[in-house]
Amino acid sequence: MRSLADVDVLSPASVDEALEILHQKAGGIKIVAGGTDLIVQMKHRIIGKTDLLNIYMLDELRYIRLENGSVRVGGLTDFATIHKSPVVRTAAPVLAEAASTIGSVQILNKASIAGNIVNASPAADSLPALYVLEADLHLRSKASSRTVPIRDFYKGYKKLDMRPDELLVEVSFKQVGDGYLGKFFKHGLRQGDAIAVVNGAVLLKWDASSKAVSEARIALGAVAPTVVRAEKAEAILVGSRLEETAIVNASRAVQESISPIDDVRGSAAYRREMSTNYVYMTLRMLAEMVRK
Amino acid sequence: MGVILREFSFKLNGQPVSVKAPPAYTLLETLRYVIRLTGTKDGCSSGDCGACTVLLDGRAVHSCLTLISHVQGREVVTVEGVDPKIVKAYASEGAVQCGYCIPGLVVATAALLREHPKPSTEEVREMLKGNLCRCTGYVKIVKAVEAAAGV
Repeated sequence: MRSLADVDVLSPASVDEALEILHQKAGGIKIVAGGTDLIVQMKHRIIGKTDLLNIYMLDELRYIRLENGSVRVGGLTDFATIHKSPVVRTAAPVLAEAASTIGSVQILNKASIAGNIVNASPAADSLPALYVLEADLHLRSKASSRTVPIRDFYKGYKKLDMRPDELLVEVSFKQVGDGYLGKFFKHGLRQGDAIAVVNGAVLLKWDASSKAVSEARIALGAVAPTVVRAEKAEAILVGSRLEETAIVNASRAVQESISPIDDVRGSAAYRREMSTNYVYMTLRMLAEMVRK
Repeated sequence: MGVILREFSFKLNGQPVSVKAPPAYTLLETLRYVIRLTGTKDGCSSGDCGACTVLLDGRAVHSCLTLISHVQGREVVTVEGVDPKIVKAYASEGAVQCGYCIPGLVVATAALLREHPKPSTEEVREMLKGNLCRCTGYVKIVKAVEAAAGV
């Protein structure tokens, strides 16, 4: 562990001021929000030492709003707030569920949604939920403002469609409507505060009149360089009645979308098996919910 | 590069303080090595063990993952500033073995009781899951929290 006594920290008073600093120092400064990953990475020499742009006090980036059927979450909103938010619990329960698994109370109180997205760990717990919600990411720089769908944001392991002068200011997604059922799952090596071996989210639209699945979204984390959508499995589910055969076939088909590696938390083979098993268990739970 | 020093003002255990510290020092380093308030312990320095837990604006956070720059203008409570009834409950329930995790647990307990004044055992276990006791004395720790809450 090394000292950061020689690292400078700039603490702007507004987003505009932060964007001005990013514009001037693009590439030479790292943004720190809650700091729950970045401080460890810098002190433990995982990343190089650079000066820091501290945005933690920019309360204008802390909000959760429901507007015209869309949920808009300010980038600095912490996961304890997201987990408890009545708006998120109603409009996107799958995200509320994922938010609570990210870490201990201490981490949830500080870690921000934009930090989790930009830190780009393939095992980040909010990401599978944001993938099935098909979230949009809003990036601002001094001169520009643009929106990137989360699926297009990750170009490879920790490679982002983001310029050094940009700040992720907001995450938005459509409110989950009637008939949608979602579930987040996480397999860690212990119950609390563990990094996922496999995580994922499933969002299904159940058509009550035809008693069949009309839309299926499955996202898996920690099993590829980025979070992936299990498209083959999704295709198997659409039109099915969530009967046992469809569930078994869909959970097996997730294998075609993943490319896990061996690491300290589990082998690639173990991750493969857990991916199918967890998708199977999750689909079984959702099937029971629709039959009630 | 040389050491950078800046001045930060915040409220510490109810009192306004001003301190000169490197802006990328953690709150933990600032408390222990600059202010010399050493009740807050350094367990893992990576946000896993909870020994360094403090309250930031009333919410439990890791002081090892909080920069002194994060704290400017805010309010910090350390183990020295929490309600002594929590410390007494840990002592009277015999919940302290080696003691290293206890300052973090006492502060986490203060945060827990703010949110759930009469917590269920399940809520206690959930809210304290980020505080590791290597002596594994969790049964008496949970009893101490319940004693502090009067449940």
